[in-house]
Amino acid sequence: MSNIPENLKYTKTHEWIEVQDDYTGVCGITDHAQEMLTDIVFVELPEVGLEVKAGEQVAVVESVKAVSDVYSPVSGRIVEVNKALEDSPDLLNSDPYGKGWIFKIDIKDKHELDELMDASSYAEHVASGE
Amino acid sequence: MTAQRTFLYEDHIKLGGKMVEFAGWELPVMYSSIIEEHMAVRQAAGLFDVSHMGEIVVKGRGARAALQKLIPTDMGKLEKGKSMYTCFVNEQGGVIDDLFIFMLSDNEYYLVVNAGTTQKDVEWLTLNCRTNVSIQDVSAATAKIDLQGPQSYNILKKIIKDDRLAGLQRFHFFTGTYKGEPVLISQTGYTGQFGYELFCINNVASRLWNDLLEAGKEYGLRPAGLGARDTLRLEASYSLYGHELSDTITPVEGGIGFVVSAQSEYIAKDIIEHQKAHGAPRQIICLEMLDRAIPRSEYKVLHNDEDIGYITSGGFSPVLKKGIAMALVKSGVVSVGDDVAIVIRDKTSPAKVVARPFYKYSGKKV
Repeated sequence: MSNIPENLKYTKTHEWIEVQDDYTGVCGITDHAQEMLTDIVFVELPEVGLEVKAGEQVAVVESVKAVSDVYSPVSGRIVEVNKALEDSPDLLNSDPYGKGWIFKIDIKDKHELDELMDASSYAEHVASGE
Repeated sequence: MTAQRTFLYEDHIKLGGKMVEFAGWELPVMYSSIIEEHMAVRQAAGLFDVSHMGEIVVKGRGARAALQKLIPTDMGKLEKGKSMYTCFVNEQGGVIDDLFIFMLSDNEYYLVVNAGTTQKDVEWLTLNCRTNVSIQDVSAATAKIDLQGPQSYNILKKIIKDDRLAGLQRFHFFTGTYKGEPVLISQTGYTGQFGYELFCINNVASRLWNDLLEAGKEYGLRPAGLGARDTLRLEASYSLYGHELSDTITPVEGGIGFVVSAQSEYIAKDIIEHQKAHGAPRQIICLEMLDRAIPRSEYKVLHNDEDIGYITSGGFSPVLKKGIAMALVKSGVVSVGDDVAIVIRDKTSPAKVVARPFYKYSGKKV
């Protein structure tokens, strides 16, 4: 069973967001997502300053075998990206909720967070095999 | 149509194999990590279930002559107990399939073909082999297990006690026994590494697989999936049917011009000999990425902004730790050392043309 921290919110497409303060969220892909991908060898990061809508593609994660899109859990502006992933994409495998974070976003509308899943709903979502 | 399962399906599930569909078969893409399985083959050994592949027995007094008409390779290279790599070509010179021919006797040949093309091959053989030849598709009854890597000999000799094993040369084979059943043991492979391909009947496949895994524990043997098989053959720059080779790509274009050696007549000889001597319209080149991007099949290759072709196979090389690819491009435009650009998601990434192969075959046997 993969690790699903209680303090995060989740998307159906296997991203997580941690709300740091009222305005900023840190985002990445879940432990389940990295397990499915395995051997992540490349991450294409978004440009800082990019305005995105919830559910819009913002990054690309490539494993040895597959290319996988990463979607933004909420609408907002990208304020920081994890440059360490450019040299060490494997951080996504080893520490998906920590050193493997992908981007920080200036959250436009906090109400969008209510649309996301909590840890128990996400655990059910993973168990359902979607 | 639901995917077929090999006789090792239950073993793959027990080993935690991540199953995917490939050429109509349900097979493991990996067990734990493609990179780890890849490196196990390079440094120790890996075990692959490739039972999906096709096996066809062609025999009879007319077998040799009939086969010679279908392939650009000289049948004279064969002798009893030896195998060779070649391909079937259509009238336009395109590749119907690439295959290995194992010579069992003067009048009996064992053909190992791709899974997705087995039916097409049987039809092509039936159409072209008329007199004194019988064609038998034995794929359904045959399991194929590949044991690849420098430790392969140490592992196999614990299971197959046969004096012929120690001195077995590359591209040679013999029929040994396992649990009283015949096993064809060939010193060949598709990884760029020393190793064996084992052909046995289905009912001993699971026991052979598990015996090999047990015997290989002390040598670092790991089960390896289709993912590692693909990255290994890409590093070794082996052409793959459906990628570098197809009905509309000739053997010379597809990077296997070295199989062209026959003096006698065969289908499309004019076209193929001409291309071998004077070059083909397109050629396979090898590319290394200069940034961290990963090249994938069908991405476009640009040279000075001109579209010169596309990637046929690409991915991450666990040995070189960078993106590598083979591409089918217009001939004569670029050569080794030249820079090209790969179109990846509407952006371009720089790449360099390098010598083939990325990883030279290693016959190292410890």
